[in-house]
Parts: sequence; structure tokens; C-alpha cells
Amino acid sequence: MSEQLEYRKPSVNEVNEFLEIASDFQDPLELIREALSNSYDAKASRVTIEIDQRFDGRTRIRIQDDGNGMDEEGLTSFFDLGNSTKEDSIGYKGHGTKIYYKSDLVEVDTAKDGVGYRAVMEDPWEKLNSHELPEYSLYSGTGVDETYTNIEIVGFRSGEGFSAGKLTYNRINHYINWKTIGGSLAHRLAADPHEMEIRVELDDVFDDTRNELVQQSRFEFPQERTDLQRLDDIESACKHYPYRQRTVEVNGREVTYDIVGFVAGKEAREELPTYGRHSTQFGIWLAKDHIKVERVPSVVGSDHETPRFFFVANCQELELSANRETVRNKSSALFDALVSDLKRFLDRVVEDPWYREYLAQRKTVEIEESADEAAGSIQDRIERARYANTVSVSNSHELIARCTEYASSGGSFGQIVDFDSTEDIEAIVEKGGEYRAVALTPSLHDLFVAERAVREADQIICWEYGDLDILRQIEVDGYLGRDIQFVLSAEEPYCELDGERIPVLELQQCFS
Amino acid sequence: MTSFETSARVGDARSGKLHCRDTVVETPHLFPVINFYCGGLARTHFGGGVFRTVKEFLSNEVPAANGTDYSEYFRGVMTSVASLTDFGLSRERYLSYLETPVKSRPEFAEFDGALFVDSGGYKLLNEGSLSGTNFSIETSQKLIHGIQRAFGADIAVNLDLPFEESDVYRDRVSKTEATASFAAEFVNMDAEGSRRYLTVHGYSKAMLDRFFDTVARTLPGPIDQFYDGIAFGGLVPKKDDLNGLINAVSSLKTVLAERNLSHLPIHVLGISGRAMPLLIALGVDTFDSSTYLHSAINGKYSTSLFTSTNVAEADFDICDCPVCTSPALRQQMRGDAEYQKDILGPVAVHNLILQQQFVKRLRRSIAEGNREQLRTFLENAYQDRPQSRKFAYRVINQTLGSYF
Repeated sequence: MSEQLEYRKPSVNEVNEFLEIASDFQDPLELIREALSNSYDAKASRVTIEIDQRFDGRTRIRIQDDGNGMDEEGLTSFFDLGNSTKEDSIGYKGHGTKIYYKSDLVEVDTAKDGVGYRAVMEDPWEKLNSHELPEYSLYSGTGVDETYTNIEIVGFRSGEGFSAGKLTYNRINHYINWKTIGGSLAHRLAADPHEMEIRVELDDVFDDTRNELVQQSRFEFPQERTDLQRLDDIESACKHYPYRQRTVEVNGREVTYDIVGFVAGKEAREELPTYGRHSTQFGIWLAKDHIKVERVPSVVGSDHETPRFFFVANCQELELSANRETVRNKSSALFDALVSDLKRFLDRVVEDPWYREYLAQRKTVEIEESADEAAGSIQDRIERARYANTVSVSNSHELIARCTEYASSGGSFGQIVDFDSTEDIEAIVEKGGEYRAVALTPSLHDLFVAERAVREADQIICWEYGDLDILRQIEVDGYLGRDIQFVLSAEEPYCELDGERIPVLELQQCFS
Repeated sequence: MTSFETSARVGDARSGKLHCRDTVVETPHLFPVINFYCGGLARTHFGGGVFRTVKEFLSNEVPAANGTDYSEYFRGVMTSVASLTDFGLSRERYLSYLETPVKSRPEFAEFDGALFVDSGGYKLLNEGSLSGTNFSIETSQKLIHGIQRAFGADIAVNLDLPFEESDVYRDRVSKTEATASFAAEFVNMDAEGSRRYLTVHGYSKAMLDRFFDTVARTLPGPIDQFYDGIAFGGLVPKKDDLNGLINAVSSLKTVLAERNLSHLPIHVLGISGRAMPLLIALGVDTFDSSTYLHSAINGKYSTSLFTSTNVAEADFDICDCPVCTSPALRQQMRGDAEYQKDILGPVAVHNLILQQQFVKRLRRSIAEGNREQLRTFLENAYQDRPQSRKFAYRVINQTLGSYF
């Protein structure tokens, strides 16, 4: 037998790969995120995003920036998959721009080094779904003085539940702050921040509440208010914890990350934008490129309320999923080391004297609030009692008071020598050296409706018999599998449980 | 004569010197618990298995010590009157033990450390008497003090009744009054040059205030007129409750400061291990513990102040203590010895050395007055111990300044 050795490379189905990557993106907001990242990477100082609706009902998204622009190679990698020319920047995988393929038209107009380019790709999504690799035309011309990039996307295909129609200034603003480079924490993490003005203009058909949205690419913390002198101020309190660089050891090498954040009450947190439920936006975030990516909820111990904390830990060695929604390398020594060190850092925060004082003040406020509620409740009860004009016994503590009153007025009762409200038979009563186990209940029917164990009771003391119909029905149904009978009209009333008599005392009668 | 000099402070932590007759102990310091009288014969250092081997190291005796000087690890040691009853004791041997002070006995001639003799109040008062195989003597302050003197105590404490976790208020009041009464009786007895420490009990400022008020009512003058130090007791049940220990020691410091007694050295009875560095940071000066020895008896070889491994699995190469670098002792610890005491005795001394080295590093940090160095040292010690780390950060924040 003759032998032959060959080396073969695995092949890639290009169309399926483009489809797969583009399908990871669902929300038109992700398109905004991608656009902002690219403009930031191109060192743009201004980026404008316009979204409108064409006459045929299709959405048109235009992104214009004054960044470095793209040359032919850059433009090629813009359309290629996994062929980014960028290094150490937000979009280095060459995946993000594939979101543009989910549309009917992609036009890129860009200029760099005196050369202008215009690339047009028609019906990319339709072609991909017909298993055809879309092509793009490329025009070029010289004599262009400026650098810029303008991109136009027509007919973007949102995923189910996402649509351009849901875009509002408010929603975009919050999304930009929480999910994109527009909410960068670089200025707080001692990185060298590149400032970029972001301008968003929406067609009135989407949102006519204003003409445009303008903001800088930075995430602003609530104003610091550390004075805890007044209890009223506790919810607006906010302490910034300054930037720290920390180092963790990962498989024998050192990895650094930066962390910054604040602790705040509810009112202070409300000063921040929100994306999703506000309270769920707080906690400890892992970040890359100074953009929050994913929370690590277990980092704050269960003794503390996560929504009080907002910390962002930026580590450039984290790897992200294609849509940048999650950290990809969670099953790694790096992730474990980061989480362990974050726990250490948060332990420092929760043992910080200011935070401990804040906790103590919060507890005081909660007690005060509880007291305020109690005051209202007391007033209600006083009003009810005033109009009812009768003695009301609604719990066993009141019943004890009545028992004591009855005993002190010479009633044949004895003395409660032990009381445990957690037990079915709550009281031990002593009389003449004899001890009785006594089940206490405001109304007799309550005792049986609550299915309390009364077999061991020597006596049942109730304020009133309560609903005799319910008691009668219990006789019919049986009680926890036992025969039961209530003989309450006898001279010495009792309940008979499987033939055993348990005397019943209706205390209300003793006061009448 | 001042018995305690503070030479440096970092935050609340302090380093200093404790003068005990002709011995000086540098603080902070850990006093290992030694049982000098284990029921054996004089020629065998009064017997006692692993206890005996430790004593051979303490007295630098061949073959255990094998020419190496271990005295720096025994600069101050703790023993208890109650230890007399740990091994069956006859009247004859009891009387023989008390004939000659420990350091005057030829078998302990090499030992020149400070001897701190605890009253053993918890055990002896519970039992009501000091009992041997053929005798029983009713426990009293006078009896305990007599034994402390007979031991040749450099530091002695009054008889006391420690609190227990199950104690209710009236139990604690009654124990406080009894201890205060012993404290008053104790000051009328001849100290013969030994230092007197007042036993103190309480977990909170309120308890400690009441304790000091009670003692102050009992003594004929200011506490520091009669006592040279404070022995803080009753904390052993809280040894695993770092929060409780920190609160108790912080409260004691506050109470002492308010009563102008901050100059007195503080000894915490029966505590070592993971709490010790934090209590040092809070200003505790000395400790005692038998953990080193009981761990060894249970086959535990310490790998740090906080961790241990089974001695059969221990890697002696990673330790540079004199025990682990001795080929002969390594052989013994590997099981090459006729008696278990010769296997586990060196393990006990290794465990002790590890603790002593840790305390020594802390002492140096404090002595150098370097706040950052002390902070880093404590941080590094606790950073990978999630259960105790937050308490370490609390103490650091409280005593060395906030992180933020």
C-alpha cells in the first residue's frame, strides 16, 4: 500500500459565518453602540447619529464623525469578518460592523490621507439569507482635505421585540450611558480619556419631545454628599470611593485592573440615568475599554444591599462576547482572580468608617420610619376602639392582659408563669401548686382554623367563641383526622377531642 | 518601679518592655502555656509526654534541643495553678512540687524567661477544691496565691470567676463581686517582687464599666496603686467570634482610657491564632495560648498562623525554623522515634515558633513606627481569608486610618 501525507486547512462557510455573527445583534441600539465605538476608536471629537423614517416606511440610520476616516485597507476590514486592522481598541475583532449587514443598504463615505472612498453594499441581509455573499462597490477619489466617516444604513432588521419604533431620546440617552463608550468611565479610572461629543437626532415619528440629544462621552456620578448629620439626608447621601489600581496574580503573572465607584442612597442613585430597572443597574460591574459589561453580584456580601453600591472594575484582559453583553472568559483563572480581589476590595468599602456610620444612620432612619408607621397605626386603632365602644381582643398578648385583670379581680384563674408565643400551647398557668397547659386564642374558631395542636392542652382560654358556624363545620369535618365536638352551652363548656375533654373558658363572659 | 514601658506606638498598637524581676519581655509577646508539673518524676522533667518534650526545648536539653538555643521562644511562659491537677497528683508529690520554685530547680536552670502564673480560677472554683489522688484542699485566694508564690511567679493574677456565654445578668454580677473580692484580698498578700495583674471580665463597655466600678469599690485605693497589669479573661469561648473579640478589647481600651489606666499592660488570657494580630493592632500587649501544643497532640503541623496540615503530609523543607532545619528533628517528626512525644513534641515547638515569629514581625513593625508597613503586613496576612478579612479591615480602619 502506498502512503500519502497531505496538510489540509478546515474550510469556513463564509455566508453562514456572516449570518451567525450578524444574528447576534438584535436591538437597533446595538448599532448605535457599534457606531460610537468605531468613532471613538477613530479619535472623533464629534459624532452625530440621525435616525429617521423614509417615505417607504424603512428606517434610515446615519452616523457621521470627524474621526481619522478609513483608507482602503480600513474599509476592507470594515466589510470583512474577523479581519480588523485595529489593535488594543474597542472593536478589534471585526465582528461589530457586521451588525450593518442586517439591512437593505450599507453606504460608507469616508476620507483619509487626502483620498475619499465611497462603498455601497446593496441588500446584504437578503443576499445572506439567500446564501449569497453580498458584494460592495468601491469608489475612490483624491483631493479630499478633511478626514471623516459617514455611514448610512437603510432598513435595519431588528430582532423580535426590538424595533426602531421604540427608540426615544430618553431610552437612547440611558442606553448610551450604561452600555456604550458614551458612558465611559475612563475619566474616573485615571486613563487618558478621549472626549467625544455625541449628538443624536430622531425623526419626530420616533420622538418629538425635543430636537436632539447632546452629551459627552463620560459617565457622571451623583454629586458627593458625605455629611450624615441629618437623618433626612440619608437617602441623598453619596460617597465617592476614589480610583484605585489593583494587581492580581494569574498563573504566575501580574494583571492589573482599575476600580472606582460610589455608595449612595436611593435619591442619589436616581440622579443617574437608567437602563432597565433602576435598582438592577447597581452593584459591581466588570468593564473593558472603561465600559460596563457585566455585573458580578456575589461580590458584595449578603449582609449588604447591592443597590447601595456602584463600582466599576476595568480590566483590559477580559474577553467579551461578540455583542459585548457578557464576559466571555468566565471559566478562567483571570476571572476567578478578579472576583476574589473584588471581594477583598468591597470588604474594605463595607468596613470603611463612613460606610459603617451610613449603615448605622440608615438603621436609625428605618426605626424612625417604623415608629412613624406605628404612630399612624396606633391612631387608627384608637379611633376604631373609640367608635366600637367595646373591649377588643385580637391577639394572645391582649388576652394575657385580660387574664391578669380577671385574676387580680378575684377570678378563679391562677397565674401565667410562662408564655411562649411561638408554641401552639402558649401559656403555662399555675394555680394552687397545680400547673396547666393553656392554649390562648382571641376567638375559639381561630384556634382551629389555624390548625394549632391542642391535644396536650389542659384548657383553652378564648376571649370569645367567635364564629359558631365555623366551629359547627369543624365538628362535621373532623379536626386533623379526629372527632371533635364543641359543647359550649354547658355550665362548664368544653371541647371534646377523640373523647378527651378540654375545658374552654370564654373570658369575655367573665367581664360581663 | 515601672513594670511596663511603652517604646513605640502605631495607631493603637504599641511595643514595649515588660520588666519582671530580673527578666525583660519585649511586647507584644505570646506566652506559651507550659505545664511544669505533669505528675512524673523530677528526673524526667516531671513527665507529661508532649508537655515534657516541650520542656526539654525550653531548658535547651539534649537530645531534644540538640545544642540549639530555643530560649528566645520562651522569653515569657504561662502556667496555671490548675495545671497541678491535670495529671493524677498525690499529696507527697504536691508538697514536693511546691518545695522549690520552678526556676530554682536544676532541671529548669537554663530557663530564664518570665513566669506568668494564672490562678486557674475557672477550673478550681468550679471544682471547689484543689484535689489530688489522696488529698483535697478547699479553693481560696490564699491557697492560690500561696501556690503562685511557691511556683516563683514573676506575674500572678488574682483568683477570678470568668463569665460564661450562658450567664445571665445576675450570674455576671455575682461573679464580678466574687472576683472583686478576691482582687481586694490579693492585694493584701505579699507579692515578693512579682507583678500583680488584675483579672478583668466583660464583653462590652457596659459590662466592663460595671466590673471596674465593682473593683474600685472593693479596693482601698486606685487600681494602678495595687496592680501592674490587666489580665483580660473569659474570652476563650469567643475565640472564633472575631467581632466579639474586637468589640471586647476595644471596649476595654476605652474603659481603661476613661479611667486613666491606659499605661497598664494588657494581657489577654487564652487567645492566640487568627485573632492575635488584630488584638495586637488594638493595643493588647501579651497573650497566652496552648494551641501550639494541643494542635501538635492532634497531629497538626502549622503552615502559618492561620493554617495547618497533617504532620504526616507536612513539607518541612518550606520552613526555616530551627526545628524543621534540624535533620534529627525532621526524622523524628517523620515518625522515626520510639515515643509519640518525640514525634509530636518537635511539632509543637515548630508550631510555637511559627506563632512567635509572626508576633516578632509585628513587634518590629510597631517598633519601627511605620504605619504603612504595619498596615501592609496585616492586609497581606488576612487578604485571602474571607471570614476574617473584613474584621482585619475594620481594625485597620479603626486604628491605622481609613483606606479611603
